[in-house]
Amino acid sequence: MTDQITYPDVVNFAVPLFIAAILIELAWIVTKKRGGRYETRDALTSLIMGAGNVASGIVLGFVAWGFFMALWAITPLDLGTAWWVVVLCFVLDDLRYYWVHRFGHRIRWVWASHVNHHSSQHYNLTTALRQTWTGTFTFMMVVRAPLILLGFHPAMVLFVGGLNLIYQFWIHTEAIGRMPRWFEWLMNTPSHHRVHHGRNARYLDANYAGVFIIWDRLFGTFVPEQDDEKVDYGLVHNLGTFNPLRVAFHEWLAIFRDMAQPGLTLRQRLAYAVAPPGWSHDGSRQMTPEIKAAHLARHPEDAGTPGFD
Amino acid sequence: MPLSILIPMVVIGIAGIAVLLHLLGLSRPRRFDDEAAARAAWLREFPANPPARVILCHDRSAALIETVQGAGVVWPMGADSTARPLAGARIAPAAGGIIIHLPDFTAPRIRLRLDADEARQWLSKLEQTA
Repeated sequence: MTDQITYPDVVNFAVPLFIAAILIELAWIVTKKRGGRYETRDALTSLIMGAGNVASGIVLGFVAWGFFMALWAITPLDLGTAWWVVVLCFVLDDLRYYWVHRFGHRIRWVWASHVNHHSSQHYNLTTALRQTWTGTFTFMMVVRAPLILLGFHPAMVLFVGGLNLIYQFWIHTEAIGRMPRWFEWLMNTPSHHRVHHGRNARYLDANYAGVFIIWDRLFGTFVPEQDDEKVDYGLVHNLGTFNPLRVAFHEWLAIFRDMAQPGLTLRQRLAYAVAPPGWSHDGSRQMTPEIKAAHLARHPEDAGTPGFD
Repeated sequence: MPLSILIPMVVIGIAGIAVLLHLLGLSRPRRFDDEAAARAAWLREFPANPPARVILCHDRSAALIETVQGAGVVWPMGADSTARPLAGARIAPAAGGIIIHLPDFTAPRIRLRLDADEARQWLSKLEQTA
């Protein structure tokens, strides 16, 4: 069994490219007066969240790595390091990403970590870097377990995960409209991912893909961007702070406050952690289906259109 | 990548981008064009609770919203806006306006710039409704 395999830490090596691409996008927006928006404090918060994500990986990365190496020690399978194994690992890891991302929007415990990525009301390349500090605590590393048990080396799994993250950087932009039709059919694109960041009722809980949009088409979560409905970015209830600490931890605190309410059953306390965001024991809040239903009550003409079918 | 390279690159990159954005004039907070814009900003957050009355402050940086479910406020978040109901709020006068303290970790303190008459009017209204 191969233990000593190393791959480059591609995300860290991509940092200069991230900075250069942000400057290019900014120059484009400023000179062309279109293609997106930037605001100082919003961008600063996003960039600090990105730096914090790298720092949390350095500090807490040993947890996931230890878990993966424990799995690697017990699996009898080793697929090696041939190029086609790396490609297969990339595709299967993207399927893994789709489900982790879907869980991230449908399980409040995981949403508590992911929510910060959606907390900007802007959509530009800095938004891509507004990443979680608390991913380790979601325990979503377990979704990678099948890959390692199938014989993909943990270093390879993390390497392709890094490539996946880098791919997703460039799709966080309004400067690119639509790509060629074949590309839009197969790949996640700025257009598809704009939908994912929308707080419009139509666009909620759609387009979870990382690299290949085909997972959304396959599992019924694909919603195309509508020319007649501009994406409104942010959260259903937007934050009133740019403080990175509040951005990073607000939903965790909200979960614990909800769970600690007096008079709840154990089942209700657990549901505040694992039910979809917006669940409440007394029905006083709205989840995605209720938000969509309320929208259709105000706009019945939207019934049967993408996102409401 | 060694941390001795990564850390300075990240720090300089973040600081440089922030300074550049500020120098480009992209730090200006949103101003609501009129009461209709403030109303739309409220409805964007609370579509099921339409304003009965909108009181836009003189520099158009915030608006007090009255609804059948109680008072609320809309204010700029950078170039955008957000809104909150004022249930449970503590309101205090401050230099150049008022400060609203909310029992909300995501919007703990809202500083509104109001002139002296406006501040008195808002304080009076908010003390009645919050």
